[in-house]
Amino acid sequence: MNAPDRYERFVVPEGTKKVSFERDTKIMDAASFTIEREEHTIGNIIRMQLHRDPNVLFAGYKLPHPLQYKIIIRIHTNSRSDPMGAYNQAINDLDKELDHLKNAFEAEMVKFSRDY
Amino acid sequence: MEPQSYARMPRVKIRELRDDYARFELRDTDASIANALRRVMIAEVPTIAIDLVEIEVNSSVLNDEFIAHRLGLIPLTSDRAMSMRFSRDCDACDGDGQCEFCSVEFHLMAVCRNDETQDVTSSDLISSDHTVVPVDFSDATIDASSDGISGNKKGGITIVKLRKGQEVKLRAIARKGIGKDHAKWSPAATVTFMYEPEIHINEDLMESLTLEEKKEWVESSPTPVFDIDPVTQQVMVVDAEAYTYDDEVIKKAEAMGKPGLVEINAKQDSFIFTVETTGAIKASQLLLNAIEILKQKLDAVRTSLDTVEADDQFGELGAHMRGG
Ligand SMILES: [Zn+2]
Repeated sequence: MNAPDRYERFVVPEGTKKVSFERDTKIMDAASFTIEREEHTIGNIIRMQLHRDPNVLFAGYKLPHPLQYKIIIRIHTNSRSDPMGAYNQAINDLDKELDHLKNAFEAEMVKFSRDY
Repeated sequence: MEPQSYARMPRVKIRELRDDYARFELRDTDASIANALRRVMIAEVPTIAIDLVEIEVNSSVLNDEFIAHRLGLIPLTSDRAMSMRFSRDCDACDGDGQCEFCSVEFHLMAVCRNDETQDVTSSDLISSDHTVVPVDFSDATIDASSDGISGNKKGGITIVKLRKGQEVKLRAIARKGIGKDHAKWSPAATVTFMYEPEIHINEDLMESLTLEEKKEWVESSPTPVFDIDPVTQQVMVVDAEAYTYDDEVIKKAEAMGKPGLVEINAKQDSFIFTVETTGAIKASQLLLNAIEILKQKLDAVRTSLDTVEADDQFGELGAHMRGG
């Protein structure tokens, strides 16, 4: 009866920002990004992509609570980079990978329908 | 200066492709991408499904909500779904969710006038949009007079059965949605991936086994991964992918006093996908839509100039201190 609406899981409430960030007060080049209405799908691919960046010293994500529909990604970089830069580059690189995957699959579909 | 890119260039190889089924290899990427694609295919690629039912007459044995639930679960051809609007975002109908941009209307009218039981099926649904219709499962290779499963005469999915004098009359509204909201919107019947196994047999150690021992070892695998060449009597891998990572052959080798007889590793960058759809969209389209949805999701989480710095600790004072 008092269950939250199902769409609460994926619709960002009005007046709430999809992404916000908070700098670490004690460590240089460390920050946490809070992403509203996302979960493991996005959290895990961004984390793994950040691990490919040699300037990233630490990258991790957590889903704080199953009924809090947000994830927190924490990034710590060296002085050659910064969390915001590393975060945006990870997203751009993932986007590039997906573009490539789409083209590769479409080319393979053409090849497959011709060969078989 | 263009910043250095750490993007990967994955490779794909299709093994099998039918309308509702695909099997393909995905290489040169990692499990996070494979799993993201799997999750998006199941829960975030949109389809169209019946979401509102107004029942005018129902004298069947099933109650109204029972029929409404069954209607919701009928897969509808959803090639339009990607370009359609979600009713909650539709400004043309102001959240009513009944306009042409965000909904499709269906009508169903059935009366049984004979002594014989009458099946009301998904093929009795009359759609207002010829591109959005119940998925047709009838197979041309099977006798057209029966679908072979439910035994009904005209194919389609049985909704309710009527006896003489019973009637069902209703109007239904189908809307765009995703599996995360309700499983009826999931286009996926199954989406799975496995790590490609790499199997190395230690030939020297294997040759120290008698033919009997080799047979015993081959038999220890619950799935047919290995076999013995009838001519050379050598143990060979016949189907590496039949291996279920059950470790049985490794335990068997140890029990036989031959540890290291076989080494099996899961390749961390190669995956074999199996995709099966409900028929709402094609299997190949499901993957392409999943890639598109994942790209849209990534785009939505990009930071922009108006990304705010969360300041729970200091509130307005924090903003003031930064000169805001
Ligand atoms: Zn509308």
